[in-house]
Amino acid sequence: MSSKDYILNALKSSAIAPQAMPVFNVAPRIDDLVGQFETNLNTVAGTLHREGGLVALQLKVDELIAQGLQVISMVDGIKGNRAVTDTAHELRDIDYAVIPGDLGVAENGAIWVNNKNLGHRVTPFICENLFLVIEADTIVANMHQAASKVTLEKGEFGTFIAGPSKTADIEQALVVGAHGACSLNVYLV
Amino acid sequence: MSNKNSAVHAKKAEIFCRDEARVDWHSKALWTVREKRDRAAGSLPEWEQLRQIGSEMKLHTLTNLGLYLEEFEKNCLENGIQVHWAKDGAEHNRIVHKILADKKVKKLVKSKSMLTEECHLNPYLEGHGIEVIDTDLGERIIQLAGQPPSHIVLPAIHMKRGEVGDLFHDKIGTEAGASDPFYLTRAARAHLREQFLSADAAMTGVNMAVADKGAVVVCTNEGNADMGANLPKLQLHSMGIDKIVPDLESASALLRTLARNATGQPVTTYSSFYRGPQEGGEMHVIIVDNGRTDMLKDKILAESLKCIRCGGCLNTCPVYRRSGGHSYNYTIPGPIGIAVGAQNDDTNSIPWACTLCGSCSYVCPTKVPLDKIIHHHRRLKAEAGKLPYGKSSYMPLVGNFMASETMLNCSMSVARTALKVLPGSLLKPFSGAWGKYRELPTAPNSSFEAWFKKNRG
Repeated sequence: MSSKDYILNALKSSAIAPQAMPVFNVAPRIDDLVGQFETNLNTVAGTLHREGGLVALQLKVDELIAQGLQVISMVDGIKGNRAVTDTAHELRDIDYAVIPGDLGVAENGAIWVNNKNLGHRVTPFICENLFLVIEADTIVANMHQAASKVTLEKGEFGTFIAGPSKTADIEQALVVGAHGACSLNVYLV
Repeated sequence: MSNKNSAVHAKKAEIFCRDEARVDWHSKALWTVREKRDRAAGSLPEWEQLRQIGSEMKLHTLTNLGLYLEEFEKNCLENGIQVHWAKDGAEHNRIVHKILADKKVKKLVKSKSMLTEECHLNPYLEGHGIEVIDTDLGERIIQLAGQPPSHIVLPAIHMKRGEVGDLFHDKIGTEAGASDPFYLTRAARAHLREQFLSADAAMTGVNMAVADKGAVVVCTNEGNADMGANLPKLQLHSMGIDKIVPDLESASALLRTLARNATGQPVTTYSSFYRGPQEGGEMHVIIVDNGRTDMLKDKILAESLKCIRCGGCLNTCPVYRRSGGHSYNYTIPGPIGIAVGAQNDDTNSIPWACTLCGSCSYVCPTKVPLDKIIHHHRRLKAEAGKLPYGKSSYMPLVGNFMASETMLNCSMSVARTALKVLPGSLLKPFSGAWGKYRELPTAPNSSFEAWFKKNRG
C-alpha cells in the first residue's frame, strides 16, 4: 500500500464527530479605514505617506539616486536606476525597491503584493529598503475582506507584507531589519 | 534508554531551577509576551468569535481530512507542485533526501519548521553530506550552539544576549564581548545573506495548506522563508496532515489570531502564499502523518490537531515558564508539547508537568482543550500501566487511604495536633517534595466535617 493510501485509510477510523463548516460573519469596522491602516502600519514599524503621491515618491527616489544608491522600480510612472536582472541573485545590491501593492488591510497594516508586479519573486525581500505604493480606495477593513479580493492565480505567488522585517530572537529585544527589507515606506496614491 | 530517569521532567526542571535569577528572568520574559498577547486580543471585539470560528473550522477540516487532502493534492498538481506522502519521520527524511540528491544539492537553507525537528531531519541530511543552515535567527543561534529549540516560536528564549554574543564571536566572528541585540542581529543578517545566495535549495514548514487553491502559506517576521524559497530554483515544504484548511477565507481567519496570540503583533510581517514554483523552478510539498492519524482515533487527543502552533499556551503556562523548554523530553515543550508528545514520552512523566490550571486552554486561539487532553494522558498512562516511577506504588495506597473514612479522619486529627504542637523542622521531612519549597500550613481547629455538622448540618 502506498503511504498516501495508508494515510487515507487510517483516516477512516477517525473518532471525532462530524462538524459543519462555520459561517464567517464577522462585522468589519469600516470607519476611517485609512486612519486605521496608518495606526496599524505604525505598530508594525512601517510609515505611511498620505500626501504627495507619486510625485513625492519620485522626488524621494531621485534624491536616493543622487546619493549613489541603487533603486529598482516596478511601479509605472516611477523611474529608478536599475532594471530587472536576468537572475534573482543579481538583485543582491539593490538598496531600494519600489513595488505596487494590490490592496491594504486596515486591521493590521498589511499590503498584498502579487508576483506579477515583482520582476523576481525575491525583490521585496532582498532589497535593503522597500517602498510600496497603494491606492487609497483599495484599503479593506479586515482579512476576511482581503481574502475575497486578493488575486492568486494558478502558479502564482502572493504575500501580505506588514512592515519591515524584524526579529526579537535575542532576549526579546525588537530589532528591525532581519533578513528582508530594513525599512518600509508606503505611499498612498 | 539508560538515562531515562534523568530525563524525567521534574529532574530536568530541577536543574533549570538551580539558577534562580535565570528562572525569574525566563518567566518574566515569557509573561511579557503573554501580556502583549492580551492587549492584541483585547483590541478585537470579535476575538471570542474568531476563536470559535477557528475551532469549528479546524474541527470541520479534521472530520473531512481525507477529502481535503485529496483536493489539495489535485490542485497542487494542477499548479505544477509535486506532492509526496510520508507515513512517518523516517519516510519524510528519505523523500527529502531523494529530492535533494537528484538535484545534487550541497547546501540547504531551512526556515523554521517544528515538523522537521520532530522528524530529526537535520542530522539525517548532514549524515548524507548535505549542509543544512537554519535561517530563522533563533534557530540559527541554537543550531550554532548545538541545542534543540526550547520554544516553538522563540527557539532561543532561554539564552541571554551575552551568551549569544560569545557564541557569535566563536562561530561567525563578531567582536569579542559584544552583546548588543542590534549589532548581533545585523551580523547574523550579513552571515545568512551569504547562505541564502549560495544555497542550492530551500525548505520551509507550512502554516496552512489551502485545499481549494493548492497553495501553502508560510509566515515569518524575518523574511527568511521568502529569502530562502525565492532564490534557489528548488523549494520544499513539509507539512503535517493537520495543516490543511478548506479555503483562503479560512486561512485568513487563522492569520488574524496566529500572530496576535503568538507575540501580540496584528499579523506576521510576511504571510506568503505559494501557489506554484517560480519560473523555471521546482516546488515540492511533503505531506506527513507521523502519528497524527493515530491521535485522530482518540476523540480527546484528536482535538490537539486543531493547534496552529502560535506558542500562546507556552507563554502563559506557569510550569513551562519556570522549568524551561528543555525539560520536556520532547521537541515541542509546554502544554501543546504534552498534548501531542506524551504518547511517545519514554519517561512517562510529562503529563505531570502541569498543574491543570487551564490557562493554556483559555488563551488558545482554536480552543484546543489542553488541560482536558493532558488529564486524559494521565489516565492513558495509568491504564497502560505506565505511571512514572513512584506513582504506581504509592497512588493505590493513597486511594485506599482516602476511601476509608475512619483512617482519613483519624490521621487528619493526628496531623492537626502534630502541626500545632511539634516544631516545623521535625515535621517537614514527612512532607517530602511537597514541602521542599513550601511552608507547612496552619492547622484549623477542627475538621471540615465537624464544622459542617455544627454550622450547616
